[in-house]
Amino acid sequence: MSATQLRLAGRVGALALDVDAAFDERVAVIVGPSGSGKSTLLAAILGLEPRVRGAVCIAGAWLEDSARGLRVAPEARGLGWVPQAPTLFPHLDVAGNVRFGLRRGGAPGEHLLARATEVLELGPLLGRRVETLSGGEAQRVALARALASSPRALLLDEPLASLDLPLRARALAHLLRVRDELGLPMLWVTHDPDEAMCAGELAVVLDRGRVVASGAPREVLWSRAVAPLADVLGVENVLEARVADGGAASAHASTRSGLALVLPQALPPGTTLRLGLRADEILLAADPPGRISARNVFEATVEGVDVEASVARVRCLVSGERLVAKLTLDAVQSLGLGPGSRVHVVVKAQALRRLA
Amino acid sequence: MSGSELLAMSLLTLRVGLAATLASAPLAIGFGYLLARRPFRGKALLQAVIALPMVLPPVAVGLGLLLLVARNGPLGGLLERVGLPIAFTPWAAILAAAVVGFPLFVRACEQAFVETSPRFEAVARTLGLGPLARFVRVSLPLARRGVFYGAVLAFTRGLGEFGATAVVAGILPGRTETLALGIWSRVQAGDDRAALVLCAASFVLALGSMLVAEGWLRRSRGPGA
Repeated sequence: MSATQLRLAGRVGALALDVDAAFDERVAVIVGPSGSGKSTLLAAILGLEPRVRGAVCIAGAWLEDSARGLRVAPEARGLGWVPQAPTLFPHLDVAGNVRFGLRRGGAPGEHLLARATEVLELGPLLGRRVETLSGGEAQRVALARALASSPRALLLDEPLASLDLPLRARALAHLLRVRDELGLPMLWVTHDPDEAMCAGELAVVLDRGRVVASGAPREVLWSRAVAPLADVLGVENVLEARVADGGAASAHASTRSGLALVLPQALPPGTTLRLGLRADEILLAADPPGRISARNVFEATVEGVDVEASVARVRCLVSGERLVAKLTLDAVQSLGLGPGSRVHVVVKAQALRRLA
Repeated sequence: MSGSELLAMSLLTLRVGLAATLASAPLAIGFGYLLARRPFRGKALLQAVIALPMVLPPVAVGLGLLLLVARNGPLGGLLERVGLPIAFTPWAAILAAAVVGFPLFVRACEQAFVETSPRFEAVARTLGLGPLARFVRVSLPLARRGVFYGAVLAFTRGLGEFGATAVVAGILPGRTETLALGIWSRVQAGDDRAALVLCAASFVLALGSMLVAEGWLRRSRGPGA
């Protein structure tokens, strides 16, 4: 039997939620466009949404099962919730907020809080008033507060959505450290496929209240079932790479499968990176492009072409990595692209954004 | 009239106002929270009933209270038996002040709770806090400014309470005669000078209370307000 099981149904306003998912992965990402029911699903798991009922088992613990008449109260579920807006208690300072969770957390909470304080670099923030915190700092405090309650699992609701773009990489790095170093089960809600690919071992894709696909993020976010959502989600490409050597103004990195990349800034050798690449920033050339400013040109094979309305998403295999390029139908026709076509993938170094 | 008489009357007025406010606080805060947070049948009716002492003639309120706490009334008889007569004692003045101040107090509390987001309570709930702990550690601290403002309104209303007090507590010098009652009895007796002195004392008390309250509200302004 799977460690985590969710069978929840109910109608909340215009949303008809009907979710059925079961999995063993410790970190699962719930992905979907806005309005797909992600936050409602979290609220239902927390027991805060009385209009949604069913069965909830988190990390092996049954919290709700309407068939057996079981419905654990939200205060007894032991789930660490980090809402989209950090919702820090304004009448307490940072230390007061993080210690709030200790009421339930007890000694294990003290221990987790000590780890979280270090991992999230909270030390300098503890004496601050909450209204002086930046968005990213407030998010970290909310995360530590949830951890101090020694939860059986962490529930993160769009942890990066309220942050400005420059802050996200740092916030994501903090979240990944919590994920890797504290070892707690996590349900991580996001509308951002980049984040989904970085965050979880499993992606559960939600659309209009239903699970439309689930599986390894890399597979599932490019699957046919998700293709209709690709535009709203803005599914893009994520590459994991390691810096091999750095020049004065650029760096060379390679992915595990050996794809060599040129990056737009100098980085110390050995740095591991997650790089995001938008599908509409990739050029495909039928012939080798010759002298060109773009620093990354790869030979590739087209795996498939998904056509939606006026755009085509061309899935390419490049030295063992998959990249999706977004082209016009006209371009696909004029290059004669189809499964098996040989192409040259052209990527500006600047287009490789560092996510973490 | 002597200085000690004036002082005693002022202190009695303050004590009555303070006791009335403190005694009605738990109920006012409770009703305010209930009205702000819980949907239930008959809510509009409850709101109307709570507002009654504010809209009825104070004398009518006083008469109603007197019927309730008089020696042969339902509550008065009971209290008489345990040796706590209320009618025409300082307790009656406190009761009258509490009742007429109650609608203002409840209204301010209700508004204060409406203005605090229920999300804070939801977060506290997921952190393991039961209903009472959530209320004491989250809801009430967040609504504290509005609750305090309600208390000030109820207190100052109590300081000036006349009609209901006169009926249920009587005008007994040294016992139930607050400043408001004192002014009336001096005017009746033709002692305009003394009435004006008591007016001045009322003025000082009212202004002082408002200044202290505003000062506190100003200092506590900011987060969670």
